[in-house]
Amino acid sequence: MFFVGGQTHIKDYYDIIVIGGGPAGMSAALYAGRAGLSCLVIESNISGGQMNETDIIENYPGIDEIQGAVLAEKMKRHAEKFGAQFHTATVVEVDFSGQVKRVKLDDGNTISSEVVVIATGASHRKLNVPGERELSAKGVSYCATCDGHFFKGKTVALVGGGDTAMTEALYLSNIVEKVIVIHRRDKLRATKILQDRAFKKENIEFLWNTIVKEIRGNGKVESLLLENKKTGESFTLKVDGIFIAIGITPNTELFKGKVNLDSQGYILTDENMETNIKGVYAVGDVRSKRLRQVITAVADGAIAVTHAAENYFD
Amino acid sequence: MGLLSPSDVEYLKDLFSKEMQDEVKILVFKSDDKSKCEYCDITVDVLKEAAETDDRIQLEVYDIEDDEIIAEKYNVKGRVPTIIFLTSDGVDKGVRYYGIPSGHEFSTVIQNIISFSKGAQPELSEASKEKLKAIDKPTEILVFVTPTCPYCPRAVQLAHEIAKANENITSAMVEANEFPEWSMQHQVSAVPHIVINDETAFVGAYPEDMFVDYVLQHAR
Ligand SMILES: Cc1cc2nc3c(=O)[nH]c(=O)nc-3n(C[C@H](O)[C@H](O)[C@H](O)COP(=O)(O)OP(=O)(O)OC[C@H]3O[C@@H](n4cnc5c(N)ncnc54)[C@H](O)[C@@H]3O)c2cc1C
Repeated sequence: MFFVGGQTHIKDYYDIIVIGGGPAGMSAALYAGRAGLSCLVIESNISGGQMNETDIIENYPGIDEIQGAVLAEKMKRHAEKFGAQFHTATVVEVDFSGQVKRVKLDDGNTISSEVVVIATGASHRKLNVPGERELSAKGVSYCATCDGHFFKGKTVALVGGGDTAMTEALYLSNIVEKVIVIHRRDKLRATKILQDRAFKKENIEFLWNTIVKEIRGNGKVESLLLENKKTGESFTLKVDGIFIAIGITPNTELFKGKVNLDSQGYILTDENMETNIKGVYAVGDVRSKRLRQVITAVADGAIAVTHAAENYFD
Repeated sequence: MGLLSPSDVEYLKDLFSKEMQDEVKILVFKSDDKSKCEYCDITVDVLKEAAETDDRIQLEVYDIEDDEIIAEKYNVKGRVPTIIFLTSDGVDKGVRYYGIPSGHEFSTVIQNIISFSKGAQPELSEASKEKLKAIDKPTEILVFVTPTCPYCPRAVQLAHEIAKANENITSAMVEANEFPEWSMQHQVSAVPHIVINDETAFVGAYPEDMFVDYVLQHAR
């Protein structure tokens, strides 16, 4: 049983505001609490971020296997134990121009702090093909744990070839009749162990060197127009649904023009996780870096807050 | 049964002792007919365990057939399980659950326990509360969810806060797996899926102001 209640009494000032309650934000909050700093984590949904979409996590040292949602719950309670507060709301505007930073929320609150930690993570990238938007939520999905149930006994396509794609394919294979993985290359990018598991599943099939040109259907997904990149041939495939797992895009819309971003929109930081604005940090998947995982997200949070504690509070 | 682990129980005891003010009433309507309600027993069990963590949580369990009169009073319409929250004075704010609030959804039950113990004041911005005053006809918001959807509790919470803001509005979580025909009727294939007055309004997790605007549009 997981539960993550939003905190009701919030103050209008904290030492540290953390935007986003994924693993990076929760680790930042844990370190803030232990450093004796008051800390508010603002999270749109329930805490845990992308971990909540992960059926099983098995690459976090010391824990051989745990449901993503359970690890999320543990991290939240751990941070709360050291005094961090959580509040359910979406940050809609930030003001980093003064020494005291301001954050505006969709529930009407405005909160200030000395230090802001941006931990807004990343969202699913879209395919950008005809039919995707029109049939979104009508058979097009980006979250297997959310929507997999609706495809019991059906055939679905899964687009992508990375870790997330294979995790989703494996999860779906336990629910649906058949998963057809559509990948634009002739081999997967996913970690070896995930590949091996997917290849062993009888109800996971692979279409290599294939791209999706169009998603078709009348009111719901009925078929896909595909193209084999090697032969140039186009063909249609009948499916009841399509899950898209082709990577992520950073949640940095709010921060454009406020902190420096790289060419793909990820936030640039120094080795202390600090952005070009003093007292504003970025941690986890939202940050420009190589490996985006739970373990690197929590490391970022720890580094940022330790640096902030030493430099902005005494 | 032990659906809540000992650490869950400790966590809840601590949280409720800090956050609850008065009493809160939870009504649950069930059926003993397994073919009608696969999850009724477990729904009642989990609410019982939650209720045991604080004396101020009063759980009342009713049978949809045997307690027809009270079921009618709360307009339960034969749906089981149905969960209804009432304030300590017995005020019905239109907050409902159809189906088990398990997995991620349990978080909204905890929020509602705390909120109803304080009189169920809507936690919305002043602007939203002002806009919602315009609704003068019965309006029903349904949020279709699955227990494994992390984006759903926020939508359910917003819908419930909106119901608290205006007595003409009723808001319910609907656990899609338990009500397949109802889900089919609204062509639910992704969640959260929000239906307002029997029409699909939107699918996905939207911020407060957009949610409120959709309610206004569909309530008319
Ligand atoms: C299906 C899947 C499987 C994965 N499997 C693994 C795995 O096995 N092992 C592993 O290590 N990693 C895995 N990952 C990756 C891992 O989950 C991410 O690297 C990690 O969650 C990143 O953490 P984060 O805190 O930076 O961001 P996120 O987890 O993305 O969290 C960001 C949070 O910020 C919130 N937010 C965003 N904008 C706002 C706003 N404006 N206001 C308030 N809140 C906001 C979001 O709601 C979200 O909860 C997986 C990811 C997916 C999707």
